[in-house]
Amino acid sequence: MFYQAGLDIGSFMSKSVIIEGEKVLSYSILPSSGKFKNAAITVLNNALEKANLTFSDLKIIGATGLGASFIPYPYVESSEVSCQSRGIKFLFPSVNIVIEVGDQSTRVIKVTDKGKVADCVINDRCAAGSGRILQIIAKVLRINLEEMGALSVKSNNPVRFSTGCSVFAETEAISRIAEGARKEDIIAGLHQAMAIKIYSMIQKIKMEEVCAITGGGAKDIGLVKTIERVIKKELLVPEEPLISGAIGAALIAVEKSGILV
Amino acid sequence: MFFAGIDIGSTITKVVVRNEKEIISTLIRPTGAEHRRMAHEAVLETLQKVNLGFEEVDYIIATGYGRINVPFADAQISEITCHMRGVNWIFPGVKTIIDVGGQDCKGIKVENGKMKNFIMNDKCAAGTGRFLEIIADTLGLALEDIGEISLRSKKPAEISKTCTIFAEQEILLRLSEGCAIEDILAGLHKALANRIYTMVGKIKIEKEVVLTGGGAKNQGLRKWLEEKIGYPVLVAEEPLLTGALGAAVLAQEKAGKMSDQDLAEMKKNRKLEAVTFFKEDSTSNPGA
Repeated sequence: MFYQAGLDIGSFMSKSVIIEGEKVLSYSILPSSGKFKNAAITVLNNALEKANLTFSDLKIIGATGLGASFIPYPYVESSEVSCQSRGIKFLFPSVNIVIEVGDQSTRVIKVTDKGKVADCVINDRCAAGSGRILQIIAKVLRINLEEMGALSVKSNNPVRFSTGCSVFAETEAISRIAEGARKEDIIAGLHQAMAIKIYSMIQKIKMEEVCAITGGGAKDIGLVKTIERVIKKELLVPEEPLISGAIGAALIAVEKSGILV
Repeated sequence: MFFAGIDIGSTITKVVVRNEKEIISTLIRPTGAEHRRMAHEAVLETLQKVNLGFEEVDYIIATGYGRINVPFADAQISEITCHMRGVNWIFPGVKTIIDVGGQDCKGIKVENGKMKNFIMNDKCAAGTGRFLEIIADTLGLALEDIGEISLRSKKPAEISKTCTIFAEQEILLRLSEGCAIEDILAGLHKALANRIYTMVGKIKIEKEVVLTGGGAKNQGLRKWLEEKIGYPVLVAEEPLLTGALGAAVLAQEKAGKMSDQDLAEMKKNRKLEAVTFFKEDSTSNPGA
């Protein structure tokens, strides 16, 4: 047995996991704050500390994410899509489709039985449907990101947004507040718009039996419930949705390097 | 006789007051949050500058996105028509107008002083002034300065994303790679110019081209647009005012078609008051 680490240095959050064999020993999550190198070092040290290990105990590091190139250690890099796919298969062996709602991008990935990528849709040209808008609106409404889900569920009159553009949605939300719209209705309307965008992405690769949701968006119960309603299907949600990519990075690194487990 | 045009845009309110021959007073101020009720104050302030009373104005036209909330206006006319007329008044040879506003971007084709074709983007923030606003914000710079700074670049950074949200992230990435701010800004302005050029190109860009709106004040955008188009574009002395100016020109035209009696009657019924879409606080009068 040996120890392996996975790092996922995202645009918004940095995540690390320590894995031994089939077991996740510890993990750590930190805001990247635009300083990818610092975030990578700290987030890895935190996870090592939690597992009572030191850097020299690690046999291999797998990494992914927008800021992975800033990691100062030797590592095996894999794409974000393949890491999510591998990570979610590890967490939910029955999964066929995973929806990842991240800060910058939303991805819908079709996963093979072995956890490889069969097909994938990414919104890489336009941020509509990505998690970034949740942060923007939370700021406009002066609430915490974590409170949004609970508020959204309370709404029975979601506001209709006229554009998918995350920038204009902010302007629109401000106008609606000025007209007296309630917070919960604005958030629910936003969730609705995101769910519709995500649904249109799923349709491109065809719906399958078992769906999971991961990434920061999966922590928003309002968004999860709205997507479930729109796609008429229940979603599997990991206990900690932020680390599925880091788990995948660690697992793929081992497979790629040919180390015998 | 005196005529007024008021253009309530998403970010800035503009007023132009004219006599039969020339512009005599103008005003530019932020539209603000609960902006529309300030419309009457903006008009009064513009008139005060030249010691004119409100009753002395013969015809008022409102335009822009907040035009329906100007109850004292004698007519409301779309900003596209007003823009076109204002630009045409300053540059009679204009064939293509590119208007880069705070919330949208428009292309207008003009033929013999009439609008021939029109294209607009108000669904995506890329290609609008909002893009520049957010970028200035991300870099911690003033909106007025970023165009100038971008001109200093010799090697524009590669900006691959058109989406404002993605561009914001790309800026942070380039910065952490050690890219100079002027190079990043030049890359962004170039990307914005490309995007606008592609959109307006759909209605065919023909000489003379006039650039208006807040975007016309940005030297960087102007330079990259000219590079794309292949010849210089014209910019009014105050590019923000063309909509209000067009409204004032149209006001003169409309007033010219009315009899003195009708004009006097119309003026009498004009109500100069604030509008609001906030519900007034009813607790101040509990008995009501």
